[in-house]
Amino acid sequence: MSAISIENLTKTYRGKRGAKVDALKELTLEIEAGEVFGFLGPNGAGKSTAIKTLMGLISPTSGSATILGKDITTPDARRSVGFLPENPSFYDYLSAEEYLVFVGKTFAMSGPELKEKTASVLNRLDLWEARKRPMRSYSKGMVQRVGIAQVLVHDPDVYILDEPMSGLDPLGRTLVKEIIKELRERGKTVFFSTHITADVELICDRVGILVAGALQTVRPVQEILAAGVVGYQVKAKDIPQELFSYYNADSQAEWLSVPKADLGPVMARLQAAGSTVELVEPQRKDLEAFFLDIVAHSQA
Amino acid sequence: MTSMISVTLKGIFRDRVFQGILMTALIFLLIPTVSLLSMRQVTELSITLALSLNSLIFLLLSVFLGGTMLWKDIERRYSYGVLGLPMTRSSYLAGKFAGVALFFLLTAIVLGAATFVVVFFASSLYPPERPVQWEIIALCLFFDVMKYVLLVAIAFLFSTLSTSFFLPVFGTIAIFLAGGATQQVYDYIHSTAGDTLTPLVKQAASGLYYLLPNFSAFDLKVNAIYGLSTSFSGLLLTIGYFLLYTTFILSLAALIFSRREMR
Ligand SMILES: Nc1ncnc2c1ncn2[C@@H]1O[C@H](COP(=O)(O)OP(=O)(O)O)[C@@H](O)[C@H]1O
Ligand SMILES: [Mg+2]
Repeated sequence: MSAISIENLTKTYRGKRGAKVDALKELTLEIEAGEVFGFLGPNGAGKSTAIKTLMGLISPTSGSATILGKDITTPDARRSVGFLPENPSFYDYLSAEEYLVFVGKTFAMSGPELKEKTASVLNRLDLWEARKRPMRSYSKGMVQRVGIAQVLVHDPDVYILDEPMSGLDPLGRTLVKEIIKELRERGKTVFFSTHITADVELICDRVGILVAGALQTVRPVQEILAAGVVGYQVKAKDIPQELFSYYNADSQAEWLSVPKADLGPVMARLQAAGSTVELVEPQRKDLEAFFLDIVAHSQA
Repeated sequence: MTSMISVTLKGIFRDRVFQGILMTALIFLLIPTVSLLSMRQVTELSITLALSLNSLIFLLLSVFLGGTMLWKDIERRYSYGVLGLPMTRSSYLAGKFAGVALFFLLTAIVLGAATFVVVFFASSLYPPERPVQWEIIALCLFFDVMKYVLLVAIAFLFSTLSTSFFLPVFGTIAIFLAGGATQQVYDYIHSTAGDTLTPLVKQAASGLYYLLPNFSAFDLKVNAIYGLSTSFSGLLLTIGYFLLYTTFILSLAALIFSRREMR
Protein backbone atom coordinates (compact mmCIF):
# COMPACT_ATOMS: atom_id res chain seq x y z
CA MET A 1 0.00 0.00 0.00
CA SER A 2 1.23 3.50 -0.84
CA ALA A 3 1.66 5.90 2.05
CA ILE A 4 -0.08 8.63 0.10
CA SER A 5 -2.14 8.02 -2.98
CA ILE A 6 -3.43 10.97 -4.97
CA GLU A 7 -5.76 10.59 -7.92
CA ASN A 8 -6.73 13.34 -10.34
CA LEU A 9 -6.78 15.89 -7.58
CA THR A 10 -7.99 19.21 -8.91
CA LYS A 11 -8.58 22.47 -7.10
CA THR A 12 -10.08 25.57 -8.56
CA TYR A 13 -10.31 28.58 -6.30
CA ARG A 14 -13.28 30.76 -6.92
CA GLY A 15 -12.52 34.32 -6.02
CA LYS A 16 -14.76 37.33 -5.83
CA ARG A 17 -16.54 38.45 -9.00
CA GLY A 18 -16.27 34.99 -10.52
CA ALA A 19 -12.49 35.03 -10.80
CA LYS A 20 -11.14 31.49 -11.06
CA VAL A 21 -7.69 30.13 -10.32
CA ASP A 22 -6.83 26.60 -11.42
CA ALA A 23 -4.36 26.04 -8.61
CA LEU A 24 -4.08 22.28 -9.05
CA LYS A 25 -4.78 20.32 -12.20
CA GLU A 26 -5.45 16.58 -12.15
CA LEU A 27 -2.60 15.70 -9.81
CA THR A 28 -1.96 11.96 -9.72
CA LEU A 29 0.86 10.76 -7.51
CA GLU A 30 1.83 7.77 -5.39
CA ILE A 31 4.16 8.20 -2.45
CA GLU A 32 5.62 4.88 -1.34
CA ALA A 33 5.92 4.00 2.31
CA GLY A 34 9.42 4.72 3.57
CA GLU A 35 10.46 7.21 0.93
CA VAL A 36 11.40 10.85 1.19
CA PHE A 37 9.62 12.70 -1.56
CA GLY A 38 10.43 16.26 -2.57
CA PHE A 39 7.56 18.24 -4.00
CA LEU A 40 9.39 20.89 -5.93
CA GLY A 41 7.90 23.89 -7.66
CA PRO A 42 8.24 27.64 -8.04
CA ASN A 43 6.16 29.99 -5.90
CA GLY A 44 2.48 29.76 -6.73
CA ALA A 45 2.83 26.34 -8.36
CA GLY A 46 0.10 24.84 -6.20
CA LYS A 47 2.19 22.94 -3.66
CA SER A 48 0.41 24.35 -0.63
CA THR A 49 -2.93 23.86 -2.31
CA ALA A 50 -2.15 20.17 -2.79
CA ILE A 51 -0.99 19.83 0.81
CA LYS A 52 -3.97 21.68 2.29
CA THR A 53 -6.26 19.44 0.30
CA LEU A 54 -4.49 16.34 1.61
CA MET A 55 -4.94 17.63 5.16
CA GLY A 56 -8.64 18.25 4.67
CA LEU A 57 -8.27 21.99 5.15
CA ILE A 58 -9.78 22.64 1.75
CA SER A 59 -11.92 20.32 -0.29
CA PRO A 60 -10.88 19.25 -3.79
CA THR A 61 -12.93 20.46 -6.74
CA SER A 62 -12.57 16.92 -8.08
CA GLY A 63 -10.41 13.87 -7.55
CA SER A 64 -9.55 11.99 -4.40
CA ALA A 65 -6.68 10.93 -2.19
CA THR A 66 -5.89 8.54 0.62
CA ILE A 67 -3.26 8.51 3.34
CA LEU A 68 -2.32 5.00 4.47
CA GLY A 69 -5.46 3.85 2.74
CA LYS A 70 -7.79 6.25 4.54
CA ASP A 71 -9.80 8.78 2.62
CA ILE A 72 -8.65 12.36 3.23
CA THR A 73 -12.20 13.54 3.86
CA THR A 74 -12.20 11.73 7.23
CA PRO A 75 -10.24 12.98 10.25
CA ASP A 76 -9.07 9.38 10.56
CA ALA A 77 -6.72 9.96 7.62
CA ARG A 78 -4.76 12.39 9.82
CA ARG A 79 -4.32 9.86 12.67
CA SER A 80 -0.83 8.86 11.55
CA VAL A 81 0.21 12.12 9.96
CA GLY A 82 2.47 14.86 11.22
CA PHE A 83 1.58 18.06 9.42
CA LEU A 84 3.61 21.24 9.24
CA PRO A 85 1.72 24.15 7.66
CA GLU A 86 3.49 26.73 5.52
CA ASN A 87 4.79 29.62 7.69
CA PRO A 88 3.13 28.10 10.71
CA SER A 89 1.63 30.04 13.54
CA PHE A 90 0.56 28.51 16.83
CA TYR A 91 -1.47 29.78 19.78
CA ASP A 92 0.96 32.50 20.78
CA TYR A 93 -0.21 32.70 24.37
CA LEU A 94 0.94 29.12 24.91
CA SER A 95 4.53 28.10 25.44
CA ALA A 96 6.20 25.60 23.12
CA GLU A 97 5.90 22.99 25.83
CA GLU A 98 2.18 23.61 26.34
CA TYR A 99 1.54 23.40 22.62
CA LEU A 100 3.39 20.11 22.27
CA VAL A 101 1.38 18.68 25.15
CA PHE A 102 -1.82 19.85 23.48
CA VAL A 103 -0.82 18.17 20.21
CA GLY A 104 0.27 14.99 21.98
CA LYS A 105 -3.08 14.80 23.77
CA THR A 106 -5.08 15.08 20.58
CA PHE A 107 -3.08 12.09 19.39
CA ALA A 108 -4.10 10.30 22.59
CA MET A 109 -0.56 9.97 23.93
CA SER A 110 -0.21 8.86 27.53
CA GLY A 111 1.16 11.23 30.16
CA PRO A 112 4.61 9.76 30.85
CA GLU A 113 5.28 9.00 27.17
CA LEU A 114 4.23 12.51 26.20
CA LYS A 115 6.38 14.10 28.86
CA GLU A 116 9.46 12.20 27.77
CA LYS A 117 8.88 12.80 24.08
CA THR A 118 8.19 16.51 24.61
CA ALA A 119 11.46 16.93 26.46
CA SER A 120 13.50 15.09 23.86
CA VAL A 121 11.93 16.94 20.93
CA LEU A 122 12.38 20.33 22.60
CA ASN A 123 16.03 19.53 23.14
CA ARG A 124 16.50 18.27 19.63
CA LEU A 125 15.15 21.51 18.17
CA ASP A 126 17.06 23.68 20.55
CA LEU A 127 13.93 25.03 22.21
CA TRP A 128 14.64 23.74 25.69
CA GLU A 129 15.64 27.10 27.15
CA ALA A 130 12.59 28.82 25.70
CA ARG A 131 10.10 26.03 26.41
CA LYS A 132 8.23 27.86 29.18
CA ARG A 133 7.99 31.24 27.47
CA PRO A 134 4.85 32.16 25.50
CA MET A 135 5.45 31.69 21.78
CA ARG A 136 4.52 35.36 21.31
CA SER A 137 8.13 36.10 22.25
CA TYR A 138 9.65 33.65 19.74
CA SER A 139 11.48 34.59 16.57
CA LYS A 140 10.21 33.33 13.22
CA GLY A 141 12.85 30.62 13.13
CA MET A 142 11.88 29.44 16.60
CA VAL A 143 8.22 29.18 15.62
CA GLN A 144 9.26 27.15 12.58
CA ARG A 145 11.19 24.84 14.89
CA VAL A 146 8.12 24.49 17.11
CA GLY A 147 6.37 23.49 13.90
CA ILE A 148 8.88 20.70 13.36
CA ALA A 149 8.69 19.73 17.02
CA GLN A 150 4.89 19.37 17.02
CA VAL A 151 5.22 17.04 14.05
CA LEU A 152 7.82 14.85 15.70
CA VAL A 153 6.28 14.72 19.15
CA HIS A 154 3.66 12.09 18.32
CA ASP A 155 6.00 10.01 16.15
CA PRO A 156 3.67 9.54 13.15
CA ASP A 157 4.41 7.27 10.18
CA VAL A 158 3.73 9.90 7.55
CA TYR A 159 5.10 13.44 7.51
CA ILE A 160 3.55 16.12 5.35
CA LEU A 161 5.64 19.25 5.55
CA ASP A 162 4.98 22.48 3.69
CA GLU A 163 8.32 24.23 3.19
CA PRO A 164 9.92 22.81 6.35
CA MET A 165 13.19 24.69 5.84
CA SER A 166 11.72 28.13 5.26
CA GLY A 167 12.48 30.83 7.79
CA LEU A 168 15.42 28.91 9.24
CA ASP A 169 19.06 29.92 9.42
CA PRO A 170 21.70 27.62 7.86
CA LEU A 171 22.08 25.78 11.15
CA GLY A 172 18.37 25.18 11.37
CA ARG A 173 18.16 24.04 7.75
CA THR A 174 20.92 21.53 8.33
CA LEU A 175 19.17 20.30 11.46
CA VAL A 176 15.91 19.76 9.63
CA LYS A 177 17.68 17.91 6.83
CA GLU A 178 19.36 15.68 9.40
CA ILE A 179 16.01 15.00 11.02
CA ILE A 180 14.46 14.05 7.69
CA LYS A 181 17.37 11.69 6.97
CA GLU A 182 16.87 10.06 10.35
CA LEU A 183 13.17 9.65 9.65
CA ARG A 184 14.02 7.84 6.45
CA GLU A 185 16.39 5.56 8.30
CA ARG A 186 13.55 4.72 10.65
CA GLY A 187 11.34 3.79 7.72
CA LYS A 188 9.05 6.82 7.90
CA THR A 189 7.46 8.47 4.89
CA VAL A 190 8.20 12.13 4.28
CA PHE A 191 6.42 14.28 1.72
CA PHE A 192 7.66 17.84 1.73
CA SER A 193 7.35 20.84 -0.52
CA THR A 194 10.08 23.29 -1.36
CA HIS A 195 11.16 25.69 -4.06
CA ILE A 196 14.85 25.13 -3.34
CA THR A 197 16.51 22.39 -5.37
CA ALA A 198 19.45 21.97 -3.03
CA ASP A 199 17.06 20.78 -0.30
CA VAL A 200 15.86 18.03 -2.60
CA GLU A 201 19.25 16.97 -3.90
CA LEU A 202 20.64 15.99 -0.55
CA ILE A 203 17.78 14.21 1.16
CA CYS A 204 15.13 13.01 -1.29
CA ASP A 205 14.65 9.63 -2.88
CA ARG A 206 12.33 11.01 -5.49
CA VAL A 207 11.28 14.41 -6.68
CA GLY A 208 8.10 15.59 -8.34
CA ILE A 209 8.14 18.90 -10.13
CA LEU A 210 4.97 20.97 -10.14
CA VAL A 211 4.58 24.00 -12.36
CA ALA A 212 1.41 26.07 -12.63
CA GLY A 213 -0.67 23.38 -10.96
CA ALA A 214 0.46 20.58 -13.26
CA LEU A 215 2.86 17.80 -12.35
CA GLN A 216 5.65 17.85 -14.94
CA THR A 217 7.75 14.89 -13.93
CA VAL A 218 8.41 12.43 -11.11
CA ARG A 219 11.88 10.86 -10.98
CA PRO A 220 14.39 9.36 -8.57
CA VAL A 221 16.86 12.06 -7.60
CA GLN A 222 19.85 9.80 -8.23
CA GLU A 223 18.66 9.20 -11.78
CA ILE A 224 18.45 12.92 -12.49
CA LEU A 225 21.88 13.48 -11.02
CA ALA A 226 23.36 10.60 -13.03
CA ALA A 227 21.70 11.73 -16.23
CA GLY A 228 22.96 15.21 -15.51
CA VAL A 229 26.61 14.18 -15.78
CA VAL A 230 28.06 15.97 -18.79
CA GLY A 231 31.72 15.01 -18.44
CA TYR A 232 34.62 14.29 -16.11
CA GLN A 233 37.69 16.02 -14.80
CA VAL A 234 40.53 13.52 -14.72
CA LYS A 235 43.70 14.09 -12.75
CA ALA A 236 46.66 11.94 -13.81
CA LYS A 237 50.46 11.90 -13.77
CA ASP A 238 52.57 11.34 -16.93
CA ILE A 239 49.81 12.07 -19.39
CA PRO A 240 50.72 10.83 -22.91
CA GLN A 241 50.92 13.46 -25.62
CA GLU A 242 48.05 11.99 -27.65
CA LEU A 243 45.69 13.10 -24.88
CA PHE A 244 46.90 16.68 -24.69
CA SER A 245 43.89 17.73 -26.75
CA TYR A 246 41.80 17.16 -23.62
CA TYR A 247 43.55 19.98 -21.83
CA ASN A 248 41.27 22.90 -21.90
CA ALA A 249 42.16 26.55 -21.79
CA ASP A 250 41.87 27.07 -18.08
CA SER A 251 42.77 23.64 -16.82
CA GLN A 252 45.86 23.18 -14.75
CA ALA A 253 48.67 20.74 -15.49
CA GLU A 254 47.65 17.10 -14.84
CA TRP A 255 43.91 17.82 -15.25
CA LEU A 256 41.98 16.68 -18.32
CA SER A 257 38.44 17.65 -19.26
CA VAL A 258 36.83 14.56 -20.72
CA PRO A 259 33.36 14.54 -22.29
CA LYS A 260 31.04 11.85 -20.99
CA ALA A 261 31.33 9.60 -24.06
CA ASP A 262 35.12 9.71 -24.13
CA LEU A 263 35.76 8.58 -20.59
CA GLY A 264 36.25 4.86 -21.45
CA PRO A 265 38.81 5.36 -24.27
CA VAL A 266 40.68 8.06 -22.34
CA MET A 267 41.02 5.85 -19.28
CA ALA A 268 42.19 2.94 -21.45
CA ARG A 269 44.86 5.08 -23.10
CA LEU A 270 46.04 6.47 -19.78
CA GLN A 271 46.43 2.94 -18.53
CA ALA A 272 48.20 1.82 -21.68
CA ALA A 273 50.65 4.71 -21.33
CA GLY A 274 51.32 3.72 -17.75
CA SER A 275 50.00 7.00 -16.26
CA THR A 276 48.69 7.02 -12.72
CA VAL A 277 45.12 8.23 -12.49
CA GLU A 278 44.70 10.11 -9.22
CA LEU A 279 41.16 11.46 -9.39
CA VAL A 280 38.05 11.32 -11.56
CA GLU A 281 35.42 13.93 -10.81
CA PRO A 282 32.06 13.98 -12.54
CA GLN A 283 30.94 17.32 -13.85
CA ARG A 284 27.20 17.56 -13.67
CA LYS A 285 24.41 19.76 -14.67
CA ASP A 286 22.77 19.84 -11.25
CA LEU A 287 19.17 19.49 -10.19
CA GLU A 288 18.83 23.23 -10.29
CA ALA A 289 19.55 23.27 -14.02
CA PHE A 290 17.20 20.34 -14.54
CA PHE A 291 14.49 22.16 -12.60
CA LEU A 292 14.96 25.40 -14.50
CA ASP A 293 14.83 23.49 -17.80
CA ILE A 294 11.53 21.92 -16.84
CA VAL A 295 10.05 25.19 -15.70
CA ALA A 296 11.19 26.88 -18.93
CA HIS A 297 9.77 24.05 -21.05
CA SER A 298 6.43 24.00 -19.34
CA GLN A 299 6.04 27.70 -19.87
CA ALA A 300 7.00 27.53 -23.53
CA MET B 1 -11.93 17.83 22.93
CA THR B 2 -10.95 18.33 26.57
CA SER B 3 -7.53 19.54 25.46
CA MET B 4 -9.24 22.04 23.14
CA ILE B 5 -11.28 23.25 26.12
CA SER B 6 -8.20 23.77 28.26
CA VAL B 7 -6.34 25.56 25.47
CA THR B 8 -9.36 27.83 24.99
CA LEU B 9 -9.53 28.59 28.70
CA LYS B 10 -5.82 29.42 28.83
CA GLY B 11 -6.32 31.68 25.85
CA ILE B 12 -9.13 33.58 27.53
CA PHE B 13 -7.30 34.05 30.80
CA ARG B 14 -4.20 35.32 29.01
CA ASP B 15 -6.18 37.56 26.68
CA ARG B 16 -6.01 41.32 27.00
CA VAL B 17 -9.68 41.75 26.12
CA PHE B 18 -10.58 39.58 29.06
CA GLN B 19 -8.30 41.48 31.38
CA GLY B 20 -9.82 44.75 30.20
CA ILE B 21 -13.34 43.50 30.76
CA LEU B 22 -12.34 42.26 34.18
CA MET B 23 -11.42 45.82 35.03
CA THR B 24 -15.06 46.71 34.43
CA ALA B 25 -15.86 44.49 37.37
CA LEU B 26 -14.07 46.95 39.63
CA ILE B 27 -17.13 49.18 39.22
CA PHE B 28 -18.69 46.81 41.77
CA LEU B 29 -16.79 48.70 44.40
CA LEU B 30 -18.74 51.84 43.52
CA ILE B 31 -22.19 50.29 43.83
CA PRO B 32 -22.65 50.62 47.59
CA THR B 33 -21.57 54.26 47.50
CA VAL B 34 -23.91 55.13 44.65
CA SER B 35 -26.78 53.26 46.28
CA LEU B 36 -26.25 55.01 49.57
CA LEU B 37 -26.56 58.33 47.84
CA SER B 38 -30.14 57.54 46.88
CA MET B 39 -31.12 57.18 50.57
CA ARG B 40 -34.23 55.22 49.57
CA GLN B 41 -34.55 51.57 48.67
CA VAL B 42 -30.80 51.22 49.02
CA THR B 43 -30.86 47.43 48.90
CA GLU B 44 -33.17 47.26 45.90
CA LEU B 45 -31.02 49.75 44.08
CA SER B 46 -27.80 47.93 44.81
CA ILE B 47 -29.31 44.64 43.64
CA THR B 48 -30.44 46.33 40.44
CA LEU B 49 -27.05 47.89 39.82
CA ALA B 50 -25.09 44.75 40.62
CA LEU B 51 -27.24 42.56 38.38
CA SER B 52 -27.09 45.09 35.56
CA LEU B 53 -23.34 45.29 35.84
CA ASN B 54 -23.18 41.50 35.67
CA SER B 55 -25.26 41.55 32.52
CA LEU B 56 -23.12 44.24 30.98
CA ILE B 57 -19.92 42.32 31.67
CA PHE B 58 -21.36 39.15 30.19
CA LEU B 59 -22.63 41.03 27.17
CA LEU B 60 -19.15 42.41 26.55
CA LEU B 61 -17.62 38.97 27.01
CA SER B 62 -20.15 37.32 24.69
CA VAL B 63 -19.64 39.85 21.93
CA PHE B 64 -15.91 40.39 22.16
CA LEU B 65 -14.71 36.97 23.28
CA GLY B 66 -17.44 34.85 21.68
CA GLY B 67 -17.57 36.90 18.52
CA THR B 68 -13.83 36.93 17.88
CA MET B 69 -12.94 33.43 19.08
CA LEU B 70 -13.03 31.65 15.71
CA TRP B 71 -12.09 34.68 13.71
CA LYS B 72 -8.87 35.07 15.70
CA ASP B 73 -7.87 31.45 15.11
CA ILE B 74 -8.40 31.81 11.40
CA GLU B 75 -6.98 35.32 11.06
CA ARG B 76 -3.81 34.38 12.93
CA ARG B 77 -3.64 31.07 11.05
CA TYR B 78 -3.72 28.98 14.21
CA SER B 79 -6.47 26.96 12.57
CA TYR B 80 -4.16 25.32 10.01
CA GLY B 81 -2.15 23.61 12.71
CA VAL B 82 -5.11 22.71 14.87
CA LEU B 83 -7.42 21.48 12.11
CA GLY B 84 -4.55 19.47 10.63
CA LEU B 85 -4.71 17.36 13.77
CA PRO B 86 -6.98 14.32 13.82
CA MET B 87 -9.82 16.33 15.31
CA THR B 88 -13.15 16.87 13.59
CA ARG B 89 -14.21 20.42 12.91
CA SER B 90 -17.23 19.77 15.11
CA SER B 91 -15.17 18.80 18.12
CA TYR B 92 -12.93 21.79 17.55
CA LEU B 93 -15.99 24.03 17.58
CA ALA B 94 -17.56 22.22 20.51
CA GLY B 95 -14.29 22.42 22.44
CA LYS B 96 -14.03 26.15 21.90
CA PHE B 97 -17.66 26.67 22.86
CA ALA B 98 -17.39 24.52 25.96
CA GLY B 99 -14.28 26.48 26.93
CA VAL B 100 -16.16 29.76 26.72
CA ALA B 101 -19.22 28.35 28.51
CA LEU B 102 -17.06 26.98 31.30
CA PHE B 103 -15.30 30.29 31.57
CA PHE B 104 -18.67 32.05 31.84
CA LEU B 105 -19.62 29.75 34.67
CA LEU B 106 -16.39 30.52 36.53
CA THR B 107 -16.86 34.23 35.94
CA ALA B 108 -20.45 33.97 37.18
CA ILE B 109 -19.24 32.43 40.42
CA VAL B 110 -16.73 35.23 40.96
CA LEU B 111 -19.16 37.99 39.95
CA GLY B 112 -21.93 36.30 41.95
CA ALA B 113 -19.74 36.42 45.03
CA ALA B 114 -19.07 40.10 44.40
CA THR B 115 -22.78 40.71 43.99
CA PHE B 116 -23.56 38.98 47.27
CA VAL B 117 -20.92 40.95 49.13
CA VAL B 118 -22.19 44.24 47.73
CA VAL B 119 -25.85 43.48 48.44
CA PHE B 120 -25.06 42.15 51.88
CA PHE B 121 -23.14 45.31 52.68
CA ALA B 122 -25.95 47.57 51.45
CA SER B 123 -28.70 45.61 53.20
CA SER B 124 -26.88 45.59 56.50
CA LEU B 125 -26.51 49.37 56.41
CA TYR B 126 -30.08 50.05 55.36
CA PRO B 127 -32.19 46.99 56.09
CA PRO B 128 -34.84 46.64 53.36
CA GLU B 129 -38.60 46.30 54.08
CA ARG B 130 -38.66 42.78 52.67
CA PRO B 131 -35.76 40.47 53.46
CA VAL B 132 -33.35 39.86 50.59
CA GLN B 133 -34.13 36.59 48.73
CA TRP B 134 -30.61 35.34 48.14
CA GLU B 135 -31.62 32.24 46.27
CA ILE B 136 -33.59 34.26 43.75
CA ILE B 137 -30.59 36.50 43.15
CA ALA B 138 -28.47 33.41 42.53
CA LEU B 139 -31.14 32.02 40.21
CA CYS B 140 -31.28 35.31 38.37
CA LEU B 141 -27.51 35.24 37.84
CA PHE B 142 -27.63 31.66 36.66
CA PHE B 143 -30.30 32.34 34.07
CA ASP B 144 -28.47 35.44 32.96
CA VAL B 145 -25.37 33.36 32.28
CA MET B 146 -27.47 30.89 30.31
CA LYS B 147 -28.76 33.72 28.19
CA TYR B 148 -25.26 34.89 27.38
CA VAL B 149 -23.99 31.38 26.70
CA LEU B 150 -26.80 31.13 24.18
CA LEU B 151 -25.64 34.45 22.75
CA VAL B 152 -22.12 33.02 22.40
CA ALA B 153 -23.55 30.13 20.39
CA ILE B 154 -25.10 32.69 18.09
CA ALA B 155 -21.78 34.55 17.87
CA PHE B 156 -20.15 31.23 16.87
CA LEU B 157 -22.78 30.69 14.20
CA PHE B 158 -22.06 34.11 12.74
CA SER B 159 -18.32 33.37 12.91
CA THR B 160 -18.73 30.27 10.77
CA LEU B 161 -20.59 32.29 8.16
CA SER B 162 -18.11 35.10 7.84
CA THR B 163 -14.39 35.57 7.39
CA SER B 164 -14.21 38.84 9.31
CA PHE B 165 -15.15 39.79 12.84
CA PHE B 166 -17.65 42.34 11.59
CA LEU B 167 -20.64 40.02 11.20
CA PRO B 168 -19.98 38.04 14.42
CA VAL B 169 -19.61 41.16 16.55
CA PHE B 170 -22.37 43.31 15.12
CA GLY B 171 -24.65 40.41 14.27
CA THR B 172 -24.44 39.25 17.86
CA ILE B 173 -25.27 42.71 19.16
CA ALA B 174 -28.23 42.89 16.77
CA ILE B 175 -29.54 39.50 17.87
CA PHE B 176 -29.10 40.52 21.48
CA LEU B 177 -31.24 43.61 20.96
CA ALA B 178 -33.82 41.79 18.85
CA GLY B 179 -33.94 38.83 21.21
CA GLY B 180 -34.69 41.11 24.12
CA ALA B 181 -37.64 42.64 22.29
CA THR B 182 -39.31 39.61 20.71
CA GLN B 183 -41.60 38.96 23.65
CA GLN B 184 -42.80 42.56 23.70
CA VAL B 185 -43.41 42.58 19.96
CA TYR B 186 -45.24 39.27 20.21
CA ASP B 187 -47.39 40.52 23.03
CA TYR B 188 -48.11 43.71 21.13
CA ILE B 189 -49.29 42.07 17.92
CA HIS B 190 -51.51 39.74 19.89
CA SER B 191 -53.05 42.58 21.84
CA THR B 192 -56.00 44.67 20.69
CA ALA B 193 -53.59 47.38 19.53
CA GLY B 194 -52.08 44.82 17.19
CA ASP B 195 -55.37 44.42 15.34
CA THR B 196 -54.58 47.47 13.28
CA LEU B 197 -51.63 45.63 11.68
CA THR B 198 -51.96 43.84 8.35
CA PRO B 199 -51.96 40.02 8.55
CA LEU B 200 -48.69 39.90 6.61
CA VAL B 201 -46.86 42.00 9.17
CA LYS B 202 -48.37 39.89 11.91
CA GLN B 203 -47.21 36.67 10.31
CA ALA B 204 -43.73 38.02 9.69
CA ALA B 205 -43.49 39.15 13.29
CA SER B 206 -44.70 35.79 14.59
CA GLY B 207 -42.21 34.03 12.32
CA LEU B 208 -39.38 36.09 13.74
CA TYR B 209 -40.66 35.44 17.22
CA TYR B 210 -40.17 31.73 16.78
CA LEU B 211 -36.88 32.08 14.92
CA LEU B 212 -35.11 34.60 17.12
CA PRO B 213 -34.07 33.67 20.62
CA ASN B 214 -36.44 34.85 23.32
CA PHE B 215 -34.23 36.42 25.92
CA SER B 216 -36.94 37.85 28.15
CA ALA B 217 -37.65 34.36 29.44
CA PHE B 218 -34.20 34.38 31.04
CA ASP B 219 -34.75 37.69 32.78
CA LEU B 220 -35.45 37.25 36.51
CA LYS B 221 -34.21 40.67 37.55
CA VAL B 222 -37.60 41.90 38.79
CA ASN B 223 -38.02 38.74 40.86
CA ALA B 224 -34.57 39.15 42.33
CA ILE B 225 -34.94 42.82 43.15
CA TYR B 226 -38.32 42.59 44.85
CA GLY B 227 -37.91 39.08 46.15
CA LEU B 228 -40.83 37.76 44.07
CA SER B 229 -41.01 34.00 43.83
CA THR B 230 -40.58 32.27 40.48
CA SER B 231 -42.58 29.55 38.84
CA PHE B 232 -40.70 26.28 38.89
CA SER B 233 -42.25 24.93 35.72
CA GLY B 234 -41.48 28.20 33.96
CA LEU B 235 -37.82 27.87 34.89
CA LEU B 236 -37.71 24.27 33.70
CA LEU B 237 -39.26 25.34 30.43
CA THR B 238 -36.59 28.02 30.03
CA ILE B 239 -33.82 25.51 30.71
CA GLY B 240 -35.30 23.16 28.13
CA TYR B 241 -35.57 26.03 25.67
CA PHE B 242 -31.94 26.98 26.33
CA LEU B 243 -30.68 23.44 25.75
CA LEU B 244 -32.66 22.93 22.56
CA TYR B 245 -31.93 26.31 21.08
CA THR B 246 -28.19 26.16 21.86
CA THR B 247 -27.87 22.63 20.50
CA PHE B 248 -29.66 23.64 17.35
CA ILE B 249 -27.51 26.74 16.79
CA LEU B 250 -24.27 24.87 17.50
CA SER B 251 -25.21 21.99 15.23
CA LEU B 252 -25.93 24.45 12.47
CA ALA B 253 -22.60 26.18 13.14
CA ALA B 254 -20.76 22.82 13.08
CA LEU B 255 -22.44 21.89 9.83
CA ILE B 256 -21.38 25.13 8.18
CA PHE B 257 -17.90 25.06 9.69
CA SER B 258 -17.27 21.50 8.48
CA ARG B 259 -17.69 22.71 4.92
CA ARG B 260 -15.68 25.82 5.40
CA GLU B 261 -12.55 26.19 3.25
CA MET B 262 -9.43 26.90 5.31
CA ARG B 263 -7.53 28.66 2.60
N1 LIG C 1 -7.25 31.30 -1.16
C1 LIG C 1 -6.92 31.46 -2.44
N2 LIG C 1 -7.78 32.06 -3.30
C2 LIG C 1 -7.48 32.22 -4.58
N3 LIG C 1 -6.34 31.82 -5.14
C3 LIG C 1 -5.42 31.22 -4.34
C4 LIG C 1 -5.67 31.01 -2.96
N4 LIG C 1 -4.61 30.39 -2.43
C5 LIG C 1 -3.72 30.22 -3.42
N5 LIG C 1 -4.21 30.72 -4.59
C6 LIG C 1 -3.56 30.69 -5.90
O1 LIG C 1 -3.34 29.35 -6.24
C7 LIG C 1 -2.07 29.18 -6.83
C8 LIG C 1 -1.27 28.17 -6.04
O2 LIG C 1 -0.95 28.69 -4.77
P1 LIG C 1 -0.16 27.83 -3.69
O3 LIG C 1 -0.78 26.50 -3.60
O4 LIG C 1 -0.10 28.63 -2.45
O5 LIG C 1 1.27 27.71 -4.35
P2 LIG C 1 2.68 27.30 -3.72
O6 LIG C 1 2.45 26.74 -2.37
O7 LIG C 1 3.22 26.30 -4.66
O8 LIG C 1 3.51 28.52 -3.67
C9 LIG C 1 -1.44 30.57 -6.88
O9 LIG C 1 -1.67 31.10 -8.17
C10 LIG C 1 -2.19 31.33 -5.86
O10 LIG C 1 -2.25 32.68 -6.20
MG1 LIG D 1 3.21 27.33 -0.64
